[in-house]
This record gives sequence, C-alpha cells and structure tokens, in this order.
Amino acid sequence: MRRRWPWAVGLLVGVLLTCLVVLWYRQAPPKASTDVFRWGADEKGGAPYVYLGDNDELTGFEVDLANELARRLGMRSEFVSKSWENLPEDLRRGDIDVILNGYEWSPARERRMASTIPYYNATVRLMVPAEPPKGKEAIDSWDALRQRNKDGSKKRVAVQRGALTETYMRREFSNDVDILAFKEGTDNAMRLVRNGVADATVQDDLTAGYYAEHGFQDLRFPDADREVPGRGYYVNFVRPQDTALRDRINDALRKMTEDGTLKAIYEKQGIWSKRQEGLAKLAEHWPPENVEPERTLLDETELLIKSAGVTVVLAVLSFPVALLCGLFIGLGRLYGPRFLALPLTAYVEVIRGTPILLQFYVIYYLLPYAGITLSGFAAGLFGLALNYSAYEAENARAGLLAVPKGQMEAALALGMSRWTALRHVIIPQALRIVVPPVTNDFISLFKDTSICSVVAVTELTGGYEQLRIAEPDHILRLAALTTILYLLMSYPLSLVARRLEKRAVKVTV
Amino acid sequence: MISARNLVKDYGTGRVLNGVSLSVEKGEVAVVIGPSGCGKSTLLRCLNGLEMFQEGEVQVDELRLEGGIPDADSAVLLALRRRLGMVFQQFNLFPHMSTLDNVTAGPRFALGRPRADAEKEARALLARVGLADFTAARPEQLSGGQQQRVAIARALAMHPAAILFDEPTSALDPRMANEVLRVMADLARSGQTMVVVTHAMGFARRVAQTVHVMFAGQVIECGPPAQVFDRAGDERVRAFLAEAEGA
Repeated sequence: MRRRWPWAVGLLVGVLLTCLVVLWYRQAPPKASTDVFRWGADEKGGAPYVYLGDNDELTGFEVDLANELARRLGMRSEFVSKSWENLPEDLRRGDIDVILNGYEWSPARERRMASTIPYYNATVRLMVPAEPPKGKEAIDSWDALRQRNKDGSKKRVAVQRGALTETYMRREFSNDVDILAFKEGTDNAMRLVRNGVADATVQDDLTAGYYAEHGFQDLRFPDADREVPGRGYYVNFVRPQDTALRDRINDALRKMTEDGTLKAIYEKQGIWSKRQEGLAKLAEHWPPENVEPERTLLDETELLIKSAGVTVVLAVLSFPVALLCGLFIGLGRLYGPRFLALPLTAYVEVIRGTPILLQFYVIYYLLPYAGITLSGFAAGLFGLALNYSAYEAENARAGLLAVPKGQMEAALALGMSRWTALRHVIIPQALRIVVPPVTNDFISLFKDTSICSVVAVTELTGGYEQLRIAEPDHILRLAALTTILYLLMSYPLSLVARRLEKRAVKVTV
Repeated sequence: MISARNLVKDYGTGRVLNGVSLSVEKGEVAVVIGPSGCGKSTLLRCLNGLEMFQEGEVQVDELRLEGGIPDADSAVLLALRRRLGMVFQQFNLFPHMSTLDNVTAGPRFALGRPRADAEKEARALLARVGLADFTAARPEQLSGGQQQRVAIARALAMHPAAILFDEPTSALDPRMANEVLRVMADLARSGQTMVVVTHAMGFARRVAQTVHVMFAGQVIECGPPAQVFDRAGDERVRAFLAEAEGA
C-alpha cells in the first residue's frame, strides 16, 4: 500500500501543474485590434477571391476590398492565411478579427458571429463539358441534371463543401442528383468534370466566370441566362462582441458603394454584374430575419449515424481485401521467385513510403487520365485496400517468418508440395501470430476511412464537417456526438480483438 | 534400396560432406554415428532432399536425385519424400492440429486421401505407438516422448519404404528417450527399413544391422555393430567410441 503513494502524489502534482499552466496561458476573450485590420482568408480557395497570382503575389478582389476597407478605417491591412472551413474557429480563438472570404450569410452563421452588410451578391452557374463524353448525352439545362444517366445512375455534380453551391444543390436537387462535396480548390471540381468523374459542377458565378477564361475554356454554361433561386450574399463576419468594428466596416462599405469604389474593384476583376446594384437597398435592412429553422439535435444525430454507417461499410469491405492482398504479397516476397519478390518489395515500400492522401489523389484525379474513372466510393474502397495491403503484407511476412523453420521441413518431409505446406501448415500458424497487429490495423483503418472525405464520400468525419460548416454554433455537440459514435464503433472492435488474441495465444504457445 | 554415392556438400565456409557414400538394403536398420559436426545429420537430410548437395547422387529404388539446386516442387523430390518418412530431433509436430490431425496430415494433404480413411488408420497407428487415448490432444499437452511417438506415427501414416530418424532422442531425458527407442526397436523387428542418426550407442549395438561411423564428412568405418564397436580398425573410431560409451 505504501508503495503506491508516490505514484498517486506524482499524478496529482502533474495534474495540478498542467491545470496551472493551462490557466496561466489562457487568453482573455479576444478583442479586435484597433490599428490592424486582421482579415482571415484561404489563398488556396481559388480565384477570383484570394489567390496567389503571378510572382506568388496575393491577388483577388477580396484583397483589394480588404486593403480599401483598412485604408478607410485608418488601419493597417494584415492578411492571415487560414483554412477556409475553420475560419469561424479562428475568429473565435482571436487569430483573426474579420472573416473576408466568400462567406455566405446564413442564419446559422449569424447565430454565432456578427455579419456586416453584404459586399457581393453571388449566384450559381452550371458548368458542363463543351463536348459531352462518349456514351453520355449533353446536359443542356438545370432540369437536365435531374435525368438519370443511361445506366440508371444519378448525375454526379461536384460542388464546394460548405459554400453557396453545396447549400443550393442540397436544397434543390438532393433527391435527384449525386452531390460530390469537395473540401478545397474549386478548380479540382472542374478538373473532375473534364476527366469524367463528375457529370457537371456547380460554381458561383465569380468562380465560374474566372475559370472559364483561365484554364477551363473547354467547359460551358448551359442555361446561363436563367435566374435560379441559388443566391448568396457574401458578408464579412466579426465576433459578436466586436459590434463597433462591424459598424465601422458597414459605414465604409456604404461609402464605397456610393462613391463607386466597390464597382471599380469588381470591374477590375471583371466580376461586376447588374445584380450588385441591388446591394445598397438590401443593406438597409440587415441582417435579414431568421427564417430558416435551426437544425435539431435529432436531425444532426440522424445524419451522423447515417455517415457512421458509411464508415462501417468502407472499413468492412476494404479490410478483407487488404488482408488477402497482403497475405499474397507477403507469400510472394518470401516464397515467390525473384522476379516476383522484387516488384512486390518495391510495391510495399512505395505504398508505405507515400502519404495516403497522395494515393487517394492519384486514384481519384489522375487515374481518369489513364482511362480508369472511379466513383468516390469505389476510389475510397480501392484507396484504403491499396494502402492497407502494404501494411498487411508486412504483417503477413512477419507472421510467416515467425513460424519455426522445422514446420516447413516437417511438411515437406511428408511429401507435401510447398504450396500445400504453406496452406495447411504455415499460413494457419502465421495467421494466429498476426492476430494482434492485424486487429490493431483494422481499428486504425476504421479511423482512416475519414480520408474518404477527400473523394467526396460522406463518412462520419465528412458528415461532421458538413454539419459543422452549416451550423458553426453547434460545433461542441457535433464534436461530442462524432467522438461518441467513433468510440461506439471501435470499442466493440477492441473487445473482439482482445478475445481473438486470447484464443490465438492459447493455440500457439 | 537407398544409396548415396560420393555426396559432396559445401557450405559457405567449409565442406560438410566430403564424398560420402552409404547404402541401405530393404528391411535393414542402419545407424549412423559420429562426433558432432561430422555431417551425419546433413547426410540424412540430403537423402530426402531437405538439403541440396553439389556433387554425387542419391538413389532410392528407381528415383534419382543429382547434385545442384533442385526445383523445389519437382516430381522426383515429392515422390522421394513420400517414400522416405522423417522423424526430427525437435519433433516438429504441427502445433495448431490435434494429434490425430498431425498423423493424418500426410495422407490427407500430400496424397489427397479422404479424411475418414486416413483417420481410421491414424487411430491404429497411434495405438501402435501407445497413444490411443491421446487422439484429441494438442502437441503442447504431450510430453516430449509422447510428441516424438506421434511424430513416428505421422511418418508411418505415409507407408514409407524407409524412415529417416534424425537424432530422435537427443532432446529427451533418458526415461522418455527409452519410450521412443522401444517404439523404434518394435518397428525394426517388424522389418521396417530405417536409417537412424543417433548418439544412443546402446540402441545401435542392440538394434542396428549396420553401423556407419562418420568423421569429417566421410564414412570411415562401416559394418555390423559387433565389428564396429569391438574391433574397429581406425584409431579415430576407437577414440570416439571410447569417449561416447564412457560418457
């Protein structure tokens, strides 16, 4: 009993020290600076908002807008590079004072942040290949999106996750269209249309207009003149307590509208449109009334559970494939002829030595250039199986090597062929040896399924991100729900793994 | 029936077999003895192709194995191994199988015989080695002596023309060694052809028809036990036997 005391005391002191450090470094609630205009945006988001132009210079109409606002506020403009999806969190933490990056006004965002009056009125544009790909009919209108492909599948439409385009498509087309929501780079979505992974992409008119002239001349806009109810008002967001800053920005924006500065900035980038003339009138009653109901906990739980189902399906389908491939790769390396062993070794080293994200990128975006076009789900399964096959191959190799040499000799001495010996004597023993690392890998793969969100498969993490962007003020309960769901799935796995280990150990010792 | 002619085997550093020859007739019990490292185990493992050799040849009835690296799954090699059973120093039972499954492994997996057939015979074989009550046991539940007797039954299940024993009692204490030697003596009486590499001199004296003494990769003395043990011509043989039997 006495021996345990130092442990307990040590632990207690440790915990107290940690608490002290955390308290010490805890920041006061952030407050906006009065002499620096710290605006956050994502330069990877793409033109014409904020992007790296020639000579890697920060370019875009929002850069001009931010600089002009700062000038009128008598402040120094400071761009803070952040990831687009996390801007509300960065604002809350105090890393930035203003979000200025194509953030559409929404009731959910207004609940968490304070919006300025809108500075741009964006709408959505449909983009399709100028020449329909072989075996597919041309998409000539928004309505044509609803028609099934010849093979009965829904049209696949790429959108920007969390942006106006996703909101619009989910509201208007969710039942008729397969919506692929991507995290970053609007140009990625257009590339997918070009190489046939997606049938069409929906972009806001600024992006569409820009890229139609810069690098994507092979895409066209059907139904371009038709006004569709996809409307987004881009606003700046500040922290709710920074109302003074908001009011000053609003004043500046109003003056810029009156004296034509705003129009000049937009015309410089070629994004001025008739619609922008209505902004002043709209700003008279801002923010609009909250009409959209808040998502309930039940709605969110339902969506997250559905996404968790996708996670399970991905893991359960991809892992056996990885295991089987891994076993044969391991066998090939140990017992195969040299001409087989060498490439297999190279395979394992290449797959283990490159990031899984890169592999997904190659499978999803580059394989189509070789004529192999996979859907997001197929690409996800393939990518996970590919990646894990290399790790399972190493497990298999270790397991096979751990079977004593005498076992193979005894089997051969009985007159078994090498394959028969492997099948009946070596592999069954090797499998028992590798149960612990393999179950460990399965749990790990379970969590790695979240990588599938880069190929627009909404698994649990994807579902969480989708909700988090839509309802930024629910972030805590969303994170808690997601954590619980992951635990609910992986804990039983751990239990099963432990039982398997016990059984395996009993047999081998 | 079994003959090895002028076998030469080099490892990276030295010559393990230096032109060794050996021949065993049907029904004969041949015992190979010699100091550690003389190459007697290697010779045995060359007979059924578990080790390759560079020169010379092995012939078992009409099956011929020549020097050089053989194709791992060549028909000759498979046929040869099905004709020669082998019992190892470390037993090498299959730990994931029951005793019964160990004994049926050869007939079922190498010969493709139906399970029921193979099991019926396996039970009889296990009874013959005194383990009728242990068919369901796993190897790890058996003593060393019992495991080695299962290994003998496993070899017998293939109806081998001859059985090669590679130091079958070296890993066993004397009491368990005697269990195993009794089973081997029984086999010898029933006319089973056997090649036994061993340090058990008493067994060699009592059971062997021919004793081969190996030294530095060659057989330097060969004859009936009485002649080899008591009237060996070679000085090195006398020295080795004096040491081995004195111990």
